[in-house]
Amino acid sequence: MTSITVEYYAQLREQAGHSREQLSTDAASLGALYAELRQRHGFRLETGQLKVAVNAQFRDWLQPLAEGDVVVFIPPVAGG
Amino acid sequence: MSRVSIAAEPVDIAALRRALERPDCGGFCVFEGWVRETNEGRQVSGLDYEAYTELALNEGERIIDEAVRRFGIADARCMHRVGRLAVGDTAVWIGVVAPHRDAAFRACRYIIDAIKQRLPIWKKEHYLVGESAWVACSHGPANEHAHAPHANVPTTFIPDYSRQTRLVEIGAAGQARLAASRVLVIGAGGLGCPVLSYLAGAGVGTLGIVDSDVLEASNLHRQTLYAAAEVGQPKVELAARRLAALNPVVRVETFAERLTADTITAIFDRYDLVVECTDDIDSKYLSSDAAVLTGTPILFASVYQYEGQLHAYVPQGHSPCLRCLWPVPPAAGALATCEQAGVLGPVPGTLGAMQAVEAIRMILDLPGRLDESLLLVNLLDHGMRKIGAQRCAPCLEAGRCVHVRDLSAWPTAGGALELAFPTLQLALDGGYTIVDIRDADEILAHPLSIPALPIQSVLNAVETPDEKRYLLLCARGRRSRQLALQLRRQGLARVHSFRGGVAALPPCDE
Repeated sequence: MTSITVEYYAQLREQAGHSREQLSTDAASLGALYAELRQRHGFRLETGQLKVAVNAQFRDWLQPLAEGDVVVFIPPVAGG
Repeated sequence: MSRVSIAAEPVDIAALRRALERPDCGGFCVFEGWVRETNEGRQVSGLDYEAYTELALNEGERIIDEAVRRFGIADARCMHRVGRLAVGDTAVWIGVVAPHRDAAFRACRYIIDAIKQRLPIWKKEHYLVGESAWVACSHGPANEHAHAPHANVPTTFIPDYSRQTRLVEIGAAGQARLAASRVLVIGAGGLGCPVLSYLAGAGVGTLGIVDSDVLEASNLHRQTLYAAAEVGQPKVELAARRLAALNPVVRVETFAERLTADTITAIFDRYDLVVECTDDIDSKYLSSDAAVLTGTPILFASVYQYEGQLHAYVPQGHSPCLRCLWPVPPAAGALATCEQAGVLGPVPGTLGAMQAVEAIRMILDLPGRLDESLLLVNLLDHGMRKIGAQRCAPCLEAGRCVHVRDLSAWPTAGGALELAFPTLQLALDGGYTIVDIRDADEILAHPLSIPALPIQSVLNAVETPDEKRYLLLCARGRRSRQLALQLRRQGLARVHSFRGGVAALPPCDE
């Protein structure tokens, strides 16, 4: 199990009900992590519509997780 | 040789004229501006001109480039005097050569107007009686090209920028750069209001405002330029009036329309920086594409409830366009708007104010730019996160944008760029005016069965718009597509390319 922090923005934050959570996961990659969280929180967006960053750098969905990572999921937003 | 000169001493006008003599040109148009003996009813004994020379030269070259592109002229020269001038002296000289007189006249007019408005040149009139003051040349009465919210505002107001010029990073040179800069703000809503207010207050020389909406009562909690009594009026007009009242020396240009693929690049070409403030994801992608194609820096912000995102694309360097970040635009309706999701008024206010800071930073090239990052702002928990963001790998490898080659994928005001018809007669019956853009020998080898106009007719339509729907025809549909695209960029909406060209026609049409 890897302990990580996840942050949500915009509609993901709204659907998750909070901006930030700490969790332990067996997910092998960022993509697998999102799939796990998607199931838990009912996220509607696909990975293709999101950006994911780890420790303030954008990463691709195949990247594995490391202990203590801060993972941020970012959808595009349009309001103005 | 450079085409623009800023001269401290009188210049040999005949030499400027000689530099423009060309055998392929039949039209030469010149404009001279002289020092007049009165200004606003007062006797003038002479005047002093000062210029921020380096910027004036660059801006002047850019104006001539624009004139060449817009009017198809062959060449132009511009000279502006600085220093002490007496009544009757030549202060400015513009010469334009073109194959035909019409383009020369129009381009000459365009250049002098643009020079008056955009070159960082100040003049101090010496009156026979009374005090003298420096004014920017662009501060004179608006001419007919300017949208004229200024018309009723006395032009005697002298702005006081001392609170910002005191900042060592700004100073007098920074202020001159702000005065010479041209910024287009798309969307005069929650983000656009603070952007426009702060940039007008800061003395940005020209502000363009794009917005096609009228004010609604539900806008007022976040759109701070407007008043309750103005509900129902076009926002672009209200904003222009408000900015003219805030800082009368700022030139305001208004576009009460949605930008479309056929107009956007021509509009972007006229500005140094675009600030994207709409709440419409399609508009943001179109603007991103147009910024890439025209090489215009663009600053994006958007908000969601209590959060916002900020990001800049700059052609030089490695900052990402919108497609580098999110390659696939979300489907219309996939993202909630302010109307659907709700938004706290000060949230766009905060992000808009941050956009204004970034815009000034970009104009003045101040340190700490946002390039190559995406800034996430969460006003629920006071969190701010800056995530490094570069152009996507394919763009970096190719050394150019791989996402956008032209705007043909976008709908235009004039409908599809390419049209296919089984025969030319059906196109004529459909109300299209057919323009054969092939060379004379091609036409001779494969004449058409129906009457067609020569290429000049559609080129004239750019200058003198008419109601015709033009269908361009070439041998294989490539040149006609290229020309149609180019003409749309020059503002001719109803022009199409005949798909496949003459090669696609049945034998009876040849």
